[in-house]
Amino acid sequence: MIAVFAVAPVVLITLLVGLRGVAAMRTTSDFLVASRRVSPLLNSAAVSGEYLSAASFLGVAGLVVKDGIGGLWYPVGFTAGYVAMLVLVAAPMRRSGAVTVPDFAEARLASTALRKLAAVTVLVIAGLYLVPQFRTAGLVLSVVSGSPYWVGVVIAAVVVSVTLAVGGMRAATYVQAFQFCFKLLLFIVPAIWLLVQAGPQVRHEAVHPVEFTHFAHDTPVDFGLEVTLELDQTTTVRAPDGTPITLPAGEFRVAEGTTLVFPAGTEVPGVRGGTAPGGPGWQRPLLDLQDAGHPLLGTWAVLMATMLGTMGLPHVLMRFHTSPDGRAARRTAAITVGLLGVFYLFPGVYGTLAKVLVPQLYLSGATDTAVVALPSQVDSGMPGTVFTILLTAGAFAAFLATSLGLLLVVAGAISHDLLPGGVARLRYTVVGAAAVVVLLALPSARLDAGVLVTWGFTVAASTFCPLLVLGIWWSRLTAAGAIAGVAAGLLACAGAIVATLFGPPVAGWPAIMIAQPAPWTVPLAFGTMVVVSLAGRPPAWAPAAMLRLHLRERLDPGPVRGRDLGHSSWSARRSSAVRRSTRRLGR
Amino acid sequence: MSPHRRIPVTSPQTRLAHSRRRHRTAWRPPSLDPTEARQALAVYRAQRTRAVVSLAALATLLFGLPIVFQLFPALDETRVLAIPLSWVAIVAVPFPAMLLIAWHHLRAAESAEDPE
Repeated sequence: MIAVFAVAPVVLITLLVGLRGVAAMRTTSDFLVASRRVSPLLNSAAVSGEYLSAASFLGVAGLVVKDGIGGLWYPVGFTAGYVAMLVLVAAPMRRSGAVTVPDFAEARLASTALRKLAAVTVLVIAGLYLVPQFRTAGLVLSVVSGSPYWVGVVIAAVVVSVTLAVGGMRAATYVQAFQFCFKLLLFIVPAIWLLVQAGPQVRHEAVHPVEFTHFAHDTPVDFGLEVTLELDQTTTVRAPDGTPITLPAGEFRVAEGTTLVFPAGTEVPGVRGGTAPGGPGWQRPLLDLQDAGHPLLGTWAVLMATMLGTMGLPHVLMRFHTSPDGRAARRTAAITVGLLGVFYLFPGVYGTLAKVLVPQLYLSGATDTAVVALPSQVDSGMPGTVFTILLTAGAFAAFLATSLGLLLVVAGAISHDLLPGGVARLRYTVVGAAAVVVLLALPSARLDAGVLVTWGFTVAASTFCPLLVLGIWWSRLTAAGAIAGVAAGLLACAGAIVATLFGPPVAGWPAIMIAQPAPWTVPLAFGTMVVVSLAGRPPAWAPAAMLRLHLRERLDPGPVRGRDLGHSSWSARRSSAVRRSTRRLGR
Repeated sequence: MSPHRRIPVTSPQTRLAHSRRRHRTAWRPPSLDPTEARQALAVYRAQRTRAVVSLAALATLLFGLPIVFQLFPALDETRVLAIPLSWVAIVAVPFPAMLLIAWHHLRAAESAEDPE
């Protein structure tokens, strides 16, 4: 019931707004960058709408429950990425005239090999980012409606691919901009309602957190995944039907799909690899990753990965190419900083309230659902249901908007960079790519979405961030250097991922460096690019290729007085009519 | 149907050319004429200075604030409207400050590339 009310309007509105944006499309530029006609305000709303994925809408509040107030550093890093983008990338990248990041690499360094490598990198990043979006769409829908997991995945894929195949980037822009306003409203209004409705007692507990050691009331906990609990003493809990179950002291494996009711006053069991919410470390505004005992290093590592990763996310970069010129791209980035800042004022409210009202979510590892679980805790009547519906709708909008941008970037990488074709092929690629992602997402229900997205950010930070920054600001960069740097960044990230999945457990600061490898992979990629470039020799046109990116677009394209037309390269870049007339003059 | 529907006005040949598979055109080395190159170099240098300043401000903010929290744990005990000061600071300091940096850089960068 909730699912129908929450998801159906979002799906319908997405399709309607998307169809509104459908226009005649003839060229790749029409399809991929909306003919570059998007104004800064609309574009920044679309950038924000695309960027506020499930990780922001649900994830940050969940991180606050799990890791503490330090989780609020994630949104700071997410927003800082746009300041860095504004300062370093936005305007020059738009002026390159590229449509995708691989396009930019080729325009700046004239290397087809680099273009292919960059296209493969785009596919890696988009895959790491897109699979969790579809997966979470399936999970949220199955939680609120009891439908099978694949239903949500397929609904998301169909809506996204139909909107894109029909309307391309123009439709995606309108949908994302609309969904930003939608999400902002659906995030802020419930937050204020929750604060008012929660009452003074809960509000007091929210800002005076105590460690979650005993259950305050009879608490049912759904274990969607297998969890190992650590019990200090023998504990008696109940099955949902009332049968008592005795858990022995020591470690206890709870099977997938079990529901246990912990009676009031029971001691809260520990969870392997986690600390109870509300403890002294929880209240510190720093991120002690992996419990390594280096909160400062952990916080910096997260800030670096999120900030530099944002700068290299291909779907965000592609949005900047829809601006009409470099200035508009820069303004887009600046407005985005403000829009995101407004949204990110509120995850903390959800996080601290969830710590008081639903701390048991950390036992089952389902802190991601904290935001959606809150309204029914505050009000068990009609208003609670209504706000659950609103928040579910917002979350679903978050998956859709992000998936739109990512799928478009995948289609661009395949049908524009790897195997160039026309608009028709791009449309088919969108549908094909969506089908592949569905196949990838179906067996990934158990994957941790947060971890996959973090890897996506890390790969982006250690490949595209150095490529763009050095490509725009350093004329001595060579194609060989860029290829070596991107490859080094990719390999280093792959190494860290393999070490996380299969490596031996490590403690202390090396644990941070494996879980959040940006602090060494990014300098490694930068260093490789610089060293290999210095060993080689840049082509003679390299300074011109770089400086061109910093020159403001000509306001009036008319001829400039006082030129020696016959001895200037100027005529070569004019339109064919002007070229013809200047050639005649020079004769 | 919306009143502002765009109608294709290309010639049949152009439409045919668009629908065909496109081969990449020959890559031409980018060139700047001497006046533009001089102007571009000046703009590049000006922008680089401004970028370094803005990035330094951003880095100080982002990497400095955790140091402040680490050095002054008393901020967790001080309360503003019952909320610990450090909890307020983690939200209320970075976002307005970043908006300020962004706004300032936007104005500086635009004035740097305006022709004198």
